[in-house]
Amino acid sequence: MDWVGLYPTWYEPGVGSGWVVGIMATIHVLASHTSVGAAILFAYLAVIAYRRNQPQLLDYIRKYGMFLLVFSYVIGSITGPGIWYTTTIASPRGISALIHSFVWKWATEWVFFVIEVVGVYLVIYLVGRVDQRTHMRIAVIFGMASYTTMLIILGILSFMMVPGKEVWYAEGGYLNGFYGSNTFAQLAMRTAFMFTMTAVVGGIVAARITDPAFKREISRKLAWLGIMSSITGAALFQWYIRTLPETAHLVMDNRLPAYFQPAIITVLLGILAYFVMTLISSRTLVVWGASTATVAILLFGLWPEEVARESIRKPWVAGQYVYSNQVIGRDVPGMSIKSEIPLLEAHGFLKTQVFLPDNLRVVTPDNMLKVGESLALTTCSNCHSLSDTGMRPLHKYFGGTTSVSEVEAYLRGALSTGATMYMPMIPLKPEEAEALAVFIVHMKQPQAAVAHLQHKTALAQAGKTAATPATLTEEVR
Amino acid sequence: MNSDMLYALRDVAGVPSHPIIFLTLGVLTFALHIAAVHVMLGGTALVLANAFSNNPMRRRLAAAMTTTAKIAVSVAVVLGVAPLLFVQVTYDPFWYTSNVLSAWWVVGFIVLLIAGYMALYYFYSRNHHLDDPQHAVRSGWSMVAALALFLVVGFIMHVLTNQMLSPEKWMQWYAPGGVIDPRGHTLHDYNLWRFGFFIALAAPVTGAWLFAYRRYLGAGQLADAAYLQWVGNLAGKMLNLGGVVALVFLGGWMATLPANIAAFATSPVVLLSVALLLLTVALPTLLGQRTLNTSLGYAPFALGAVALIAVAALREVLRYTVLQGVHGYDVFTYPVHLDWYSNILFFTTFALIGGSTLAYFLTIAWKVGQTPKGQIYTPSAAIDRIGTVSMWLVGIWIVQFFVVGFIVWAR
Repeated sequence: MDWVGLYPTWYEPGVGSGWVVGIMATIHVLASHTSVGAAILFAYLAVIAYRRNQPQLLDYIRKYGMFLLVFSYVIGSITGPGIWYTTTIASPRGISALIHSFVWKWATEWVFFVIEVVGVYLVIYLVGRVDQRTHMRIAVIFGMASYTTMLIILGILSFMMVPGKEVWYAEGGYLNGFYGSNTFAQLAMRTAFMFTMTAVVGGIVAARITDPAFKREISRKLAWLGIMSSITGAALFQWYIRTLPETAHLVMDNRLPAYFQPAIITVLLGILAYFVMTLISSRTLVVWGASTATVAILLFGLWPEEVARESIRKPWVAGQYVYSNQVIGRDVPGMSIKSEIPLLEAHGFLKTQVFLPDNLRVVTPDNMLKVGESLALTTCSNCHSLSDTGMRPLHKYFGGTTSVSEVEAYLRGALSTGATMYMPMIPLKPEEAEALAVFIVHMKQPQAAVAHLQHKTALAQAGKTAATPATLTEEVR
Repeated sequence: MNSDMLYALRDVAGVPSHPIIFLTLGVLTFALHIAAVHVMLGGTALVLANAFSNNPMRRRLAAAMTTTAKIAVSVAVVLGVAPLLFVQVTYDPFWYTSNVLSAWWVVGFIVLLIAGYMALYYFYSRNHHLDDPQHAVRSGWSMVAALALFLVVGFIMHVLTNQMLSPEKWMQWYAPGGVIDPRGHTLHDYNLWRFGFFIALAAPVTGAWLFAYRRYLGAGQLADAAYLQWVGNLAGKMLNLGGVVALVFLGGWMATLPANIAAFATSPVVLLSVALLLLTVALPTLLGQRTLNTSLGYAPFALGAVALIAVAALREVLRYTVLQGVHGYDVFTYPVHLDWYSNILFFTTFALIGGSTLAYFLTIAWKVGQTPKGQIYTPSAAIDRIGTVSMWLVGIWIVQFFVVGFIVWAR
């Protein structure tokens, strides 16, 4: 018997494992995008400071850098591995797919991380300790090294959505997986928006400048950076949308929450208005205003964006071959990867899953509810909460029915055959479908599930039928 | 959990280079990471031991160690990314399972590490005049919190690593009594001898670091003789006492190995580690005043780093021995799908860009540190050239990224 290498499942009933990843990712994106944009801004300002002999610009670099040491190089640098950790526990085979395809790319990024961390301390603490030309050179190296980290991670993020080239499935190859339309569109869009974040967060520091003329100069630079990057980013967002795979468009058209588009547009317009305001009058650049704009970007821009990015990948979680429930859902001949669907169709989850207690491998009326719960954990809980709270509660997806047989019919029909849009194909054996149906109905109306189980127990005891779960199911009907 | 099940958990994509490469890099980068962790822990402990004194020398050391610890956390975090990456490549079935089984603690690791780091920064921000005994120490609790939190996150990481080695217990932890518990609330398995060993090593490593610190100050004439003498004495005590304590913990760890791999305790890699640790401890005594008057002052830390590489190798060989010998899992049978481009790109970037840029950055930092305050440091033409080369190399890297990318995209 072959095994399907599914890991144990972590289930977080409050918010769901997906949201834990989302929260970590949202915080990290704000911190890391801001720091990359700021590194390039520092390089630009250092060059200006050197060429025009404006050492006061270096003072702004130093202050903004000190702020970033905590904002980006404490929070950002820890939440970076934090995304690895949270995806490890929420979607181990998803992160594993990325790690095993792109380990050298990540290792290369690590070299630049080390340069970046040493570089930021030098850029900050060597202001006034080295000659301006040397400081400028350090700032330029730091800015470029910082940007390479974004170049690298963007290819990996794009692979999560879809491999760069379709030929990757047939031929494999890291380059085919890494580079594609979505890679460049996403890179361009994120590059623009990272400057928006840099300009907003930079305002928190600029607002404390006491010299009115210098504050005006910095606030104008930040405002223009913010205005140009917001407009450019919005235009590039349209390009990015066009590079998404068909499955993503299906989800966007049908499943994204209604508030998504208005939230993004409102945040963009609000941020634009904010930058125009600070451009007109630098006195309007105050700490609480810039802080509020930063929080607004985090809550109403990045959070919906991260949630949407997670949603539109469905039913896949990586490379359009690892399903969101961790099952390998398609062949990738170029990487010698075989779909696990045929094995599951032949033997089911209960017989092939590594992490399942032996007392749940055969369905009986006594353990049916527990088997159903284990199947829900394995096949559903990555995307659907098994409680009333959290992400897409499972029991709300079956209309008003409390009939085990109706739910089972759906599971054995549309779901097992992969005929449900943006859902993975989940090839349940008949007894598995019944057990899962009992668990789902139990969440909606426990009495209905208990009645079903009691009836089955009575039938088994009466010996009316041969005691196999499948035939018992037929008898109940 | 039989070996078939363990092999089934492997990633279906295979690995892009032979596993020995990842294991070797894992050992080297773990040694660098743990060295930074030790300096972070030792530095934080030294702050707590000296910051509340009115002795000017102790206050000066506390101030220096606050800055050292602050930077050491950054360095530990960024260096820790590499071994974390490599363990996922080679030992994914074990690392991922261990993490999922203690999932809340994995999230807790991140939250607590951020909290510890912030506490350290808070103490730093509240005590800009720590070296001056005239200024009272403020918010000492935050430094206590930082050290406590660092130890807790260290313990979490120890447990996650330890749980990897016990696949036979995984089902019992995941489904005790046959009932699945998917919450991940529990830290299941630990070995206090092993944890104690890695924590206790902070004392000798920081002692060796202090010898280097002393030499750095001495070479730049940045401190008086009394302070240098006092730091040297303290460094010697930390190295000697800490070294002995660490070796006791190592002995305890080896004594608690499972019976069927007990012979590992006297294997060459263990003996080599012990020998190098003992040599590191003895080195300052052998060198005497030369640790102050010559560049041999940096030798204890350099040798300590080599000893840590041996310790990292010990840890890796033990992992292989347990998983192969006890559980029948051989990491060297991982299917390899060699990808030349990504291999070459990494090693070229590492050697050329990493080498030149870090050489440039660290040389500048070193020279500035030796320049009296108030003076501007201007690098020599040779150092300037390294900087120019570094700048061009990073620029060329970015250009190749787009050139290769556009070619692939257009193909």
